[in-house]
Order: sequence, then C-alpha cells, then structure tokens
Amino acid sequence: MPMGNTQPSVRPASAGRAGGAAVTSAAHRSGARPRRTRGGLRAERYAPYILVLPAVLIIVLLRLYPLLLGVNFSFTGDGEQNGTAVGFGNYRELFADPLFQTALKNVGLLVLLLPVAVAIPGLLATFIYLRVPGHRFYRSVYFFPAVLSPVIVGAIFNLLLAFDGPLNAVLGSFGIGPVDWLGDPDIAMFMVVGVHIWATFGMALVVFLAGFATLDAALLDAARVDGATLRQVVWHVIIPALSRTIQFVFVTTMIGMLTSMFGLLYIMTSGGPEGSTYLPEFYIWKQQGQMNRPALASAASTILFMIMLVVGLLQIKLLERSGKED
Amino acid sequence: MSRLRLGRWLVAIPMSLLALATIYPLLFTANVAMKTRRDYILDRFGLTDALRFENISTAWNSVGMGRYFVNSLFVVTVSVLLLLLFGSMAGFALSQLRFRGSSALFLGCLAGLFIPFQVIMVPLARIMADTALIDTYPGLILVYVAQFLPFTVFLMTSYYKGIPPEIVDAARIDGSTVYGVYRRIMLPLGTPALLSVGILNALFCWNDVLMALVMMPSADHRTLMIGVTSLRGQYSDNIPTFASGVLIAAIPVLLVYLFLQRQIADGVAAGSTKG
Repeated sequence: MPMGNTQPSVRPASAGRAGGAAVTSAAHRSGARPRRTRGGLRAERYAPYILVLPAVLIIVLLRLYPLLLGVNFSFTGDGEQNGTAVGFGNYRELFADPLFQTALKNVGLLVLLLPVAVAIPGLLATFIYLRVPGHRFYRSVYFFPAVLSPVIVGAIFNLLLAFDGPLNAVLGSFGIGPVDWLGDPDIAMFMVVGVHIWATFGMALVVFLAGFATLDAALLDAARVDGATLRQVVWHVIIPALSRTIQFVFVTTMIGMLTSMFGLLYIMTSGGPEGSTYLPEFYIWKQQGQMNRPALASAASTILFMIMLVVGLLQIKLLERSGKED
Repeated sequence: MSRLRLGRWLVAIPMSLLALATIYPLLFTANVAMKTRRDYILDRFGLTDALRFENISTAWNSVGMGRYFVNSLFVVTVSVLLLLLFGSMAGFALSQLRFRGSSALFLGCLAGLFIPFQVIMVPLARIMADTALIDTYPGLILVYVAQFLPFTVFLMTSYYKGIPPEIVDAARIDGSTVYGVYRRIMLPLGTPALLSVGILNALFCWNDVLMALVMMPSADHRTLMIGVTSLRGQYSDNIPTFASGVLIAAIPVLLVYLFLQRQIADGVAAGSTKG
C-alpha cells in the first residue's frame, strides 16, 4: 500500500479491509472486561502524554537543547580560555581562516551546480513517466546508488579515479595523459560533487516520479492531441504542474549537498588537496575532532545552521507564493 | 506518432548508457575482489578467471570487517526497533488522540527535522562525554534514534491521520484502554508504514559515517562504514582486499534493495508528498 495517498475521506473502506479483523477481535476481547475504575480513568487521561514522552524527551534533550548549547558555546573560548566569554572572537577567526573561506566558496559552487543536480533527475523522470522503452528497468537501476553509503561510493570511486587507476588507464590508451583527478586542487572538488550527484540523483528521481503520479494525464493527452512537441509539453504542462515537487527537490538537494557529503570528502580527499575540497561540515568535524577547537567548530556550526535556515525560509516563501497562485 | 516512437528509442540509448554507468562501478569492484593482486596489476578490466573468495575471507577475518559487520548489525537493529516503537507511539497520540498541547509537541518534534547532526555535533559529543555514553553502543544508538526520530514521528503521524477516528472511538466505547488500542489496532494497521520507515531508517543508520566517527573513537567499537574508511590507509596497495572490504559493506544493502525496493521508494515518496 503506498503511503502517499491516504486521504481520510476515502479511508474507511480500505482501512476496514486491512484492520477489520484486528478491530473486531479487540472489541470482543475487551468487551468481556469489567468497566474501568476511577484510577484507570486518570491513567487514561495521561496516556497521550506517556505515549509522546519518549520521542519528545529524546528530541528536546538531544536535538533542540544541543542547538542552544552550541550557539552559546560559540561565544566562549577554546583551550586556556575554555568557558570564558570571548564575544564574536570565534566568528572573526572563522572568517579569517582560509580553509573556512574555501568551505564557503565551495558552498557557492554547490549553489551554482544545484540547477544541474535538479535538472538531470527531472529530465530522466520525465522520460520514465513518458514510458521510454525499459522505463521500469531504468527506475530500479538509477535509484540503486542512492541507497549506498557515501563511504562505499567514495571508496569505489577512489579505486576508479586513482592516479594509476582504471580511468586513467582507459584515457591513456586514447593518448590522453594521466589526470590526477583527486590530487589536483582545480579538479578535485568537481570530482567529489560529480560523484555526489551520481550517487544521489536516484533519490530526486523517485521524488519526481511521486510528483508525476499526481499529474493529471488528461492534460498531457490534450497537449499531445494539439500537436505539442516534447519541449513544449515539458515547459508548458509538466513544469507548471510539478512546481511544488520541483521546489521540494531544490531544497532537499541543497540540504543533501550541505549535510551528506562528509563521507565522500572523508574517504576521497580528506579536504585536500591544499584544502580545496573543504565544506562547512568537514571543517566542523576537523576543528572539533582533530584540532581540538570545539568552540571554533561551534561557530562554524552556527554559520552552517544559518545557511540552512536561509534555504528553509526560501522554501517557505516559495510555497506561500505557489499557494497564492493556486 | 512514428516520429515520437523513434524519439523514444533515441532517448533510450543515452538512458541505457547512464544505467550502465550507474551499475558498472559496483560490478567492477566485485570483479576486482575476485582477482589476485597480480591479476589486477596485469589486467584491471578483464573478467576474473575464477570466483576466488580468498580476498573476501581475508577482509572478513584478518582485516576485522567481520567484527565491524556484527557491530553494525547490532547497533542498527536496536536503533530501528526503538525508532519504530517511539515513532509509532508518538504518531498514534499526535494523530488520533485529542489532548492539550498536542500541536505544540508535534511542532517541537518537527523542529528536530531542521537540525542536522553537523550543527549540533560539538555539544552532542560533549553531552555524551559528560554522561559517559561516548564510545559505548547505547550512546551511538541514542544518537541514531535522536537523529532519525523527527522524520519517523512525522511520517507515522501523517500515516495514522489517514485512519478514521471511528475505529479508535469504537474500541474505546467497548472498554479498550488507550494502550490496548495502540497495541491491538494501531500497530497492526501501521504495518505498511512501519515497514517503509523501518527499512529507510535501517539504511540511514547502516550507511552513517559521521556520527559513528564522532561517537565511537575506539577501534574495536567501529561500525562497518568506519571499517571501510580504515581500509583506505591500510590496503591502498592491495586493491583486491580493499575491494573485498567494500563489497562486504555493500552486499547487505544490495540484498535489501533487490527485495524491498518498493518499500524504500514508497518511503522516500511519502516523505516528499507529505512535505
């Protein structure tokens, strides 16, 4: 049963089919029981709170509270100054650090590459939706790398892109001299981002296909009857109808680039060569774990959170605007 | 019409090439894992002449991937069970029961969705160190549960919203307690959602590197993914053993994908259409 289309208004029939047996047997069993006592009633009143308690406790203590703690932490010092307030000292140091500057520059690169990372799965999903020969097969194959760990993906590409590795061997046989894919500061970041897009476009593809499932096929048929070309169909029918899905993919792809490339960076380049493949998340880990600068790392965390907040607010703005258009 | 048909076949060619590019790296790795070191140096691309499992067993035993595998399996299993338990409990209460503060609590859980681990890594590591949970399995499990619980609560709440309240009301009138309704009605009815969310969470936990790296510094507590990263330094000159280690980490995911692809895709799709 797909989880995407459970509307309350159409549910009773299907829910009855799935759960009818459970409901009646439960009713029978408990029907024979004596009525609830007063103490039982009070326990019942607290039952909803007890049910949500574990989830709320864990989320508050290990998500929301650490966020505040971290922001607070970013205004204190490291090492000998541990615990004393240093104002914006960490932030000043952060923005003066060439490695963090590179990390921010790379975030800019990710923003520039974002349209590509969204367009590729969007176009492929369109073709799959239009039932290109073998569409089921493509769907399964394309989605596969998305479930692999970045570490596995990175390790495999380490192998393929090694200086004395297979890719250079193939290129060499065409007379193209060996390229140091992961060792050249001008190339390495593009390789890592390329591998990230290779590994995750299947995720966006599935989201796009879920969006296509809600598309009214009559619209496409009408356009087809009117003799629209594929390009016209994409521009005038599919993109307007899927605007919400497209926005969602934009935001989740951006968040994915900001928060799930650590594994690739860690195994493929370790931030090198010459610090050219740093991203904020790698910088945070490095300062916290290797450099023993937790307060500086907290400042970088706060900046990363602000970047993500901007991405999130942008989405809300876009959603509001598309809501008005509806 | 015929023009369109031809166009479809033309599109199918680059799409097939892309499909090949998608699976080839893994096939290459599997092939290398079967080769001897000498074979690999002489011929990188040729098909292996025999199905050799020596490299796999070296990686499993002497490299320690076997131990890491068991570590990962344990941590992932416990984390997913806890996630499903807490997620379905909260999802049931937030969707089907009326109580004061329920929408505020739901928003609180939702807020957790927007806080990635990277942002709270430093304070979380400190909290774990202060409570002596760092470098312990319960500590890592707790971090995984906290990481994926907002998503789980969110999906379970929206799934349970689709169940008509009359079912709960009827059971309540018949004298069933709230807990009885949860156990005998909500858990069985939630099976499809629990399965999807459970598989997704299992993949997320299994594939994680950063949290395991920060929370589990000692070598014998390593999870499988950390094991893979350590291969890079130790076996960078022995590619077949390196490839074998990667393969050991990839095979469980491949099997899950082959059998449960639909549930995974449904889970991802549900996450997107609810948002």
